[in-house]
Amino acid sequence: MSDFQLYLTNTAGLSSVASFWVFVASNGTKKFQGLALKIANGVMLVGFIALTVAIITRGVEAQRFPLANLYESLLWFAWATMGGFLYLCRSYGIQQLGWLASLLAATMFLYGSWLPQSQHDISPLVPALVSYWRQIHVPPLIVSYAMFFLAGLSGLLNLWQAGRLRSLAFCVGTIIAACSAIGLGTFSKVDTVWLQLLFVASSVLGPVAAFRSLGVQDAAIEQNKAARKAAEMYDDVGYRCVAIGFPLLTIGIITGGLWANHAWGSYWSWDPKESMALVTWLSYAAYIHLRIQRDLSAEKLSIVSVIGLLLTLLTYLGFNSLGFGGLHSYGKFK
Amino acid sequence: MASLLKQDDKSKDLEPEVGSKAASSEEPKKVRAANKDQLSPFASVKLSVFLMCLMALTILIGAGVPQESQGGQEKVFEVFGNQIAEWLVRLGISDIYHSPWFLALTATLTLNMIVVSFQRVFPKLRLLKNTLPFFRGQDILKLPVHHCLTVAKADEQTALIADLSVRLTKMGYKVRAEGTKLMGQYGLVGRLAPSVTHVGLLTLLAGITITSWTGFNGFQPVLLDEKLNFTDSQHSKLWIGSLPKWQVRVDGTRRENYATGQAKQWFSNLSVVDDKGKVLHQGEISVNNPLTYENVDIYQSSWGLAKVAVSFNGHVRQLDLRPMGEKYACFLPLDQDTVLIMSLASEGKSLRVFAKRREWQAPKLISEIQAGKSIKLGDVDVVFEKAIPITGLQYKRDPGLPVTYLAFGIIMIGVLLAAVPHRHVWVALEENKLYLGGTSRKAKVGFERSIDNLVEKLKESFTLQEQEQERVDQGEEANV
Repeated sequence: MSDFQLYLTNTAGLSSVASFWVFVASNGTKKFQGLALKIANGVMLVGFIALTVAIITRGVEAQRFPLANLYESLLWFAWATMGGFLYLCRSYGIQQLGWLASLLAATMFLYGSWLPQSQHDISPLVPALVSYWRQIHVPPLIVSYAMFFLAGLSGLLNLWQAGRLRSLAFCVGTIIAACSAIGLGTFSKVDTVWLQLLFVASSVLGPVAAFRSLGVQDAAIEQNKAARKAAEMYDDVGYRCVAIGFPLLTIGIITGGLWANHAWGSYWSWDPKESMALVTWLSYAAYIHLRIQRDLSAEKLSIVSVIGLLLTLLTYLGFNSLGFGGLHSYGKFK
Repeated sequence: MASLLKQDDKSKDLEPEVGSKAASSEEPKKVRAANKDQLSPFASVKLSVFLMCLMALTILIGAGVPQESQGGQEKVFEVFGNQIAEWLVRLGISDIYHSPWFLALTATLTLNMIVVSFQRVFPKLRLLKNTLPFFRGQDILKLPVHHCLTVAKADEQTALIADLSVRLTKMGYKVRAEGTKLMGQYGLVGRLAPSVTHVGLLTLLAGITITSWTGFNGFQPVLLDEKLNFTDSQHSKLWIGSLPKWQVRVDGTRRENYATGQAKQWFSNLSVVDDKGKVLHQGEISVNNPLTYENVDIYQSSWGLAKVAVSFNGHVRQLDLRPMGEKYACFLPLDQDTVLIMSLASEGKSLRVFAKRREWQAPKLISEIQAGKSIKLGDVDVVFEKAIPITGLQYKRDPGLPVTYLAFGIIMIGVLLAAVPHRHVWVALEENKLYLGGTSRKAKVGFERSIDNLVEKLKESFTLQEQEQERVDQGEEANV
């Protein structure tokens, strides 16, 4: 990895951290809030541009499409998260999603920076990855994962604005527990059985508790029409993210099947990672059907989108870090 | 939030396909109720969602528990221990994708999808032909997004409607006019998304059915100079048709490495031969680059070194190699305490000979032998003759492939269409009041903004005044 590429990647990482703090700080002042939000967005944009150039530079240096291991996929994920937020911000004028999006991007940079040096180094491809299908199959999946994360985060903000603070607390707690399991699975020697248990238990109990707590609402917020309007907007933003992510996930799964058929003569082999991608697809298909039928309230759909986030997390990072096997071991480094 | 949901309900009632309900509500409701009664219980979308969740849960369990079809039953016992593994095997969880539960679930979901497609999704296509009604001002005020503007100058009214029609057309709406009323529709193609996706899923079902009934697939590891015989290999059950009579001979197989020694690619030179040994077709395969003969595709799926030929005082022996990480090794016990270990990194590399005695902590390197060379071990003359590679050949015949590919294409088009928002705008000019409103199923905020922008532009061009309506309270600005 060249110094130039390292410099660009570090710039992007630091930009995400800086924009997070500026987004947070913007809530401390009514007077300069507009200016602070503009600065935060500007910093995020600088990071996005730096990361775009960093990814292109890496591709030029490696003389291949720069998406072949976990580290490179994290760069893509952070890029899609930042780009996705900037698009949403432009379309909807939302700002509060910014601190969650920049926190997510910063977490991915941090996670990537802690990976061993072998992941950072440009390494040759294993035979299975020497195919033009790699650049067709993987990018839609990574971008869809980022969009599903943004949908889940919009769900959290919807719960916040709707005054469902107890449900929100359960959802946030669940996400923290799930992320902790993945972090420990990647960087520690804790028995993966315990981590699998932590992930599964929190992912089941958290959303159930969140659903059961939906009846508890902050009365002051309920009366606030502006907050209700904002909640409606985050609901719409979440659906927009899913509406972008779902076709991309579908394309990613289908092109994966086509690649597998081209390489091994089989579209589907029930490999854990591809099975998980199907689970994620089914969960978002259910989300879309629920929304079309309009049987669930926006708050319940927000919790469904948080469940989708957890499944996406499990598909993207969980199956490699929590000790499940499979053909998709390229994202693994242990 | 309750009021927002109520508003949503209003928009549901005013959805275009049932748009006429705004004008007369009772009759269509009865028709809808009657239609609902005619639907099969399998046409329930709630059932679809429930089955999708069950399917997701089942696959989730299957993804978490090692499957016998992939790692063998021993992997299940290795991971879970005897007691739990026995239960997993007994309950069918260790082979969940072949369990009666999964097959029944797949069958039910398939049935549900077929019934939903024909009873719910496809009939809605007819609604696309329906001409939507024009709304009165009072109906427009019931829409989730609406504006009521007073037109100050009476002579501007005709120009205003004409201007609105042009602006809506420029925004991508297909506009119809009737006197002082307009009706605009945007993204009608987006409404095709469910139908197209369901057509794709049904086509996929057809493709998979053709493949599973008339196709076959299998795997066989084949040594250099040996043949792949379809009948003798591990293959799927064939329902219709027969396996090829011809065989595939491995004339050559090699591994190409990066400078670091890591595998870059595996290659095999294959000859298709008939039962008399006549060569029918030849070609080289590598990972991602199969050979096709008579609609049978042969894939390079794995590669390794299977044996090493070594002669001991002129007696050639083929010793089985075991993969040891990046290397291969064979073990020759010399006596109770001593083992001779021969290790090979890859073809063309030298054979490294180690000795290991019980009291030694690690094996000791005795010598390295180049291919074709010999060394002396005591009284024994050891010659490294050659390494014998093995190539893993996967094969399949898939008559349903064109149908499956077509299905993939249709599904992708369907899900992409789903991203197109379907929007409606109604305009009515009654007396000196301009009513403008609409609905959008997706991207509601974007739609609301586009309508607000339109109104602002109209205000710039005409003498319009906004009527008082429910607005977000001043001082309660949303912090979004």
